[in-house]
Amino acid sequence: MKATFLTAAALSLALHPAIAQVETTPPPPAAPRQLQIPKPVEKTLSNGLRVIVIEKKGVPLVAARLLIKNGGEADPANLAGLADTTASLLTKGTTTKSAEEIARGIEALGATLDTGAGWDESSADVSVMSSKLPQALGFLADVVRHPTFKQEEIDRLRQQNVDALSVAMKQPGRLASFVMAHAIFGTTRYGHYLGGTPESLTRIKRDDIVDFHNEYYRPSNAILILGGDIAPAQAFAIAQERFGGWKGAPEVARVLARANEFPSPHVIVVDMPAAGQAAVVAGRPGLRRADPAYYLSLVTNSILGGGYSSRLNEEIRIKRGLSYGAGSSFDLRRDVGPFTATVQTKNESAGEVAGLVVDELNKLGTTPVEDAELGPRKAVLIGGFGRQLETNAGIVGRIGTLALYGLSLDEINRYISGVQGITAADIQKFAAAHLGGNDASIVIVGDAKKFLPTLQQRFKNVEVIPIDELDVNSPTLRKAK
Amino acid sequence: MLIRRVTIAILLIAASAAAASFPPINYRHRTLANGLEVYSIEDHATPTVAINVWYRVGSKNDPEGRSGFAHLFEHIMFKATAHMKSEMLDRLTEDVGGMNNAYTHPDRTVYYEVIPSNYLQTLLWAEGDRMGALTVDEANFKSERDVVKEEYRFRVLAPSYGRFNNSLSKDSYAVHPYKRPGIGSIENLDASTLADVQAFHSTYYRPDNAVLIVAGDFDPKQFDTWVDRYLGSVPKPTTEIPRVTVKEPARTEEKHFAEHGANVPLPAVGLTWLIPPAQSDDTEALQVASTILSDGDSSRLYQSLVYKKQLAQSANANADTREDTGLFTVTAVMAGGKKPEDGIAALRQEIDALGAKAVTSAELDKAKNLIITGALRERETNDGKASALGEAITQFHDAAYVNRGLERLQAVTAADVQRVVKKYLVDAKAVVITYTQEAK
Repeated sequence: MKATFLTAAALSLALHPAIAQVETTPPPPAAPRQLQIPKPVEKTLSNGLRVIVIEKKGVPLVAARLLIKNGGEADPANLAGLADTTASLLTKGTTTKSAEEIARGIEALGATLDTGAGWDESSADVSVMSSKLPQALGFLADVVRHPTFKQEEIDRLRQQNVDALSVAMKQPGRLASFVMAHAIFGTTRYGHYLGGTPESLTRIKRDDIVDFHNEYYRPSNAILILGGDIAPAQAFAIAQERFGGWKGAPEVARVLARANEFPSPHVIVVDMPAAGQAAVVAGRPGLRRADPAYYLSLVTNSILGGGYSSRLNEEIRIKRGLSYGAGSSFDLRRDVGPFTATVQTKNESAGEVAGLVVDELNKLGTTPVEDAELGPRKAVLIGGFGRQLETNAGIVGRIGTLALYGLSLDEINRYISGVQGITAADIQKFAAAHLGGNDASIVIVGDAKKFLPTLQQRFKNVEVIPIDELDVNSPTLRKAK
Repeated sequence: MLIRRVTIAILLIAASAAAASFPPINYRHRTLANGLEVYSIEDHATPTVAINVWYRVGSKNDPEGRSGFAHLFEHIMFKATAHMKSEMLDRLTEDVGGMNNAYTHPDRTVYYEVIPSNYLQTLLWAEGDRMGALTVDEANFKSERDVVKEEYRFRVLAPSYGRFNNSLSKDSYAVHPYKRPGIGSIENLDASTLADVQAFHSTYYRPDNAVLIVAGDFDPKQFDTWVDRYLGSVPKPTTEIPRVTVKEPARTEEKHFAEHGANVPLPAVGLTWLIPPAQSDDTEALQVASTILSDGDSSRLYQSLVYKKQLAQSANANADTREDTGLFTVTAVMAGGKKPEDGIAALRQEIDALGAKAVTSAELDKAKNLIITGALRERETNDGKASALGEAITQFHDAAYVNRGLERLQAVTAADVQRVVKKYLVDAKAVVITYTQEAK
């Protein structure tokens, strides 16, 4: 069939003289054009609120993000999910508006208003047409400054979250990431679940939420970032009008008791016989966002598991057809965040895939990367950076992260040179120190009988936890007998 | 000889008093002698360019016994071609700071790249090359087929509601090939061969069945020269392009289906109705109806099922218009301990209410503002603009719809919404799906 097809193509070649012009190799690129990096401008209101504006003309839209500089890391040990619950309740009623009035008001503008918590921050995001920014920021300020946290809303949200968790716990990928957080962080500050567990959510009382809001939602602990089709002077004026009168409760220093020792690495299998696919995750403690090795971690990960042609995807998907996608990332946080490599594969291949992941982690520390590979993987990062700056949400997200971690906003101008400055020798040294596969924990959620023998050939001391005996609240991950 | 037709659309959308003015997408169009439709949108805001090739072939064209084939084929298009070895397209995009991807829709298959603009000529060459011929070998074909089987497990078997999502089309169409899941099945994927790949390429992957759309930073004259050289030279076959002619008949009775999945902690329910093809005059009113039902926390389904009655964990509506008969779907994942039949009754109640009484002007304006802001957000990027234009061309058979559609949307009245809800939903026959945990 193939031969017949080629003959037909050859025939049409002869009939169309134009085709003779076609090159058999790709034409080379022209000279590159320079990326324009947006320029943030900022001012601090008298109440301490830092306001940053990035003007970007074109589409008449603005993205606004209010960041509170604390999130899930501030959850007390037995109240996992407190930061996220607090943030989610902001839009569920203020001193002057009901939840329904807030939703109706913001959506009448065609806008969206989303609130939630990350590990190091709580956030409220608005996306709106430029002409309706003043009204939309009015809603944003109201929900951040004057939430009422009605008991009825707390109960409703808890039930919704408990239901959502019951679904999440049945997804191999979600469950594996929960278990991996335990394996990497134990009882340290990132060792719980951002959204809580059914048990911790039940323990969260209204007073806990009100206290969390009073303590962290203060203008001096907040940053407002606006990006898009808006002149800075106008943006500052709107910010002053909506947030100038925000006082916030007086600051109290709270000390959270936390373990600071990470657990030693281990291999955990959660046996879920009905899993339609196995989730395989390798992980270990990574870096802080402010670590000087930031660019090194980006380039190293780009080689290993960032993007389609990274090594993990090349070995596992492209060469072997074992997965729809394999990848890795450093989740860089205020404190040391996790490094994880994640793959989903058919249950039968999970053991083989775990071995392939560990091999790739080890290889980076023992063998230098060739220039022919390094250049393209840097280009991946620089290109992704440029595409992120194409949208208001992308610009606001990137500038917001710099501000959140107290980094200079000028860092945005150093991104390209920072990536380009990394060498193969830097990478090898970094990978040997931070990525050794033998020091990684492995978590697999799947139908254990289909992969356990292969896995145990490669890894010793595999702990198998049947799904019915799993308790994600327990430090041992097992239900009390 | 090249027929050159240039259309420049300069349409300023006059929005309702409440809405902002809407910047139109200005595009150029010409048709090459080999039938290829070429559209371009010039914008020098960033040094990037988005390239889209839309082929008018989708999952509805899967060969008999080869459900999932159009999608498998989409994957194969990244393997060896006449002058490129496997994954060379990644070398020309990803490796230079660009990206590429593709998707398979019931009606179309879309390949897209976003690249630094100095690589435009290179990528036009590459798109011409893979439009011309594929030379994938058996080993690469089988390996990629395994990847697609993993994608099937990832999308359908592993998630709790994967099989439910698959069942919506499967149960909703009686005869139209839209009923076959685009992702296919393990058995049908295993049955496909390399010979199928070559036949599919020569049948559907040809210039007179494709639309090239380029948006971003380029010089129009240079662009035209390159397009003529690399894509104008792809021969136009003399064979007919087979089209799906099956028509889905109107439903004569309500039908109920009980579907099951492996890990379903909360049951799900769905109701579907048949709606006219995208080109129908009623499309925009149906879009407004679906927005009123389920876009945002003030939407009717959220307010009723999720917030007030606390019957559902989530609830959604979707006006899935297609080139041929489409589907209007409403679905809900039940809250813990709630019965599926109560979910179905509550969904019906909301549909009936929308048919019984005209919406207020405030609710109508809200829906229009949400749709327009969403369209603006899509147009922030070159790829988003190309995608909006491609949809107008292939689903609405009219490039100008990219601007005109939003004008039409502004003209929708409360009476229009009530009328289409009555006509296509309330007075028509539903398919009702209940999805629960399978017996262990």
